[in-house]
Amino acid sequence: MKEENQSELAESSEEDESVIDGEVLTEEHGNAEVADRSESDRPLLPASKTPKDGNQRNWLLYILLPFIFLTVALLGGLRIAAETGEFIFSRPALICLVFATILVVLFFRTGLISIGGWFSESLSTLKNASNAAVMVAIFAGSVQVFNSLIPEQGLAFWVVSFCFLWTLGVSYFSVADASRLVRSTVALFVAAFLTKYFLLANLTSTSSGNWLQRLWDDPTREALTYLLDLPRYASATGYVQFFAVALFLLGLFLIPRSTQE
Amino acid sequence: MKGKHIQIFGLAVTVLYGLFVAWIYWAAPKNVGEVSTKARETIEQATNEAKAATGTYQVDSAKFQQGLNAFRAENFVLARDQFEQADPKGIDPATQYYIAYSFYRQGWGRFTNDDVLFEKGLEQVDKVIALDREYKADDPNLNLKYPVELKQELEEGLRITADDFNPLRLTRERQ
Repeated sequence: MKEENQSELAESSEEDESVIDGEVLTEEHGNAEVADRSESDRPLLPASKTPKDGNQRNWLLYILLPFIFLTVALLGGLRIAAETGEFIFSRPALICLVFATILVVLFFRTGLISIGGWFSESLSTLKNASNAAVMVAIFAGSVQVFNSLIPEQGLAFWVVSFCFLWTLGVSYFSVADASRLVRSTVALFVAAFLTKYFLLANLTSTSSGNWLQRLWDDPTREALTYLLDLPRYASATGYVQFFAVALFLLGLFLIPRSTQE
Repeated sequence: MKGKHIQIFGLAVTVLYGLFVAWIYWAAPKNVGEVSTKARETIEQATNEAKAATGTYQVDSAKFQQGLNAFRAENFVLARDQFEQADPKGIDPATQYYIAYSFYRQGWGRFTNDDVLFEKGLEQVDKVIALDREYKADDPNLNLKYPVELKQELEEGLRITADDFNPLRLTRERQ
């Protein structure tokens, strides 16, 4: 194989010098795979070059990333009651934990996060512990982002949960690189957000008073709210959740593949 | 700041923030103002738990005395509130016995008893028995010295028997 390559090099050198340069570069590395490295193998966050860069990387990894994901965990279950304006902290359904687990497994599988780059015997105990804390924060944020996007109850809960399960299942078997996973996750979350906070929120009756008065004011919405078992939340909930989902996606873009220099 | 220091700081901040998030979902405050109230309650609860675990738990004697004064003045609602504040963990048999007794005295009637208060008293006296089966009240104003006696009195008050229609019962006295 090498001999063939060399003969090809020799032939092409007679035709075009610029082509030779390119081929020689490949030969220097001695491994054709280097040139064919997929996008997923490239860390999303470039390695630090100076000590100052290293510090910035540490700040990002150990302060900013957990802060982002824990803020998502804080806001993901927050709803605001329509009539009283009170906070309602909605605890995640079991299915959210399942989805978050699949999502984190997908992060590893596609190479968005390299296990060896985050946990290793060659790393100090402190670094392994810090990385574990960041990973727990990522998992908590993932659980709560699903809690934010999946309707709380009724038919809508089952339909959206099934769609999530289907999409995550398909991603598990078909998505092989990190950038595609990130793009597909963004699309999935945007679609789910639009479904819950635009479509379903617009089907929910917002009129106040007793049920007869509400039925009289807006019969269609009242009937749909009853049939689909939609909870009545203030519109501020949508704004809070938009922020939470946006923060989660920002966090996804900031996750480095490896924490090793 | 060195990388190691950032990692330690990050780990501490992450753990603290994570605990805060978990606590928020546990306490579920209804508005921003309630966050501080819930935090205070949680701290008090945790302090009492720690005191109970280390054996340094003590009943607030001032509150207990206020409760006792209210009990003797027949202000049972206030007395219960003071006793509950004196023993927030609910592990002091004497304080809990006074609470049970206050249900009895408030619910007792010459013609008929208040069943709701008697039932609450029964629950409370069961709690006292669970805490200390051998407990004996040293207050001379309490005629029923033992929790089992109080329990018997409360159960008797809740039961409807032919004896309840005996006119001589009108002459009975509250214990």
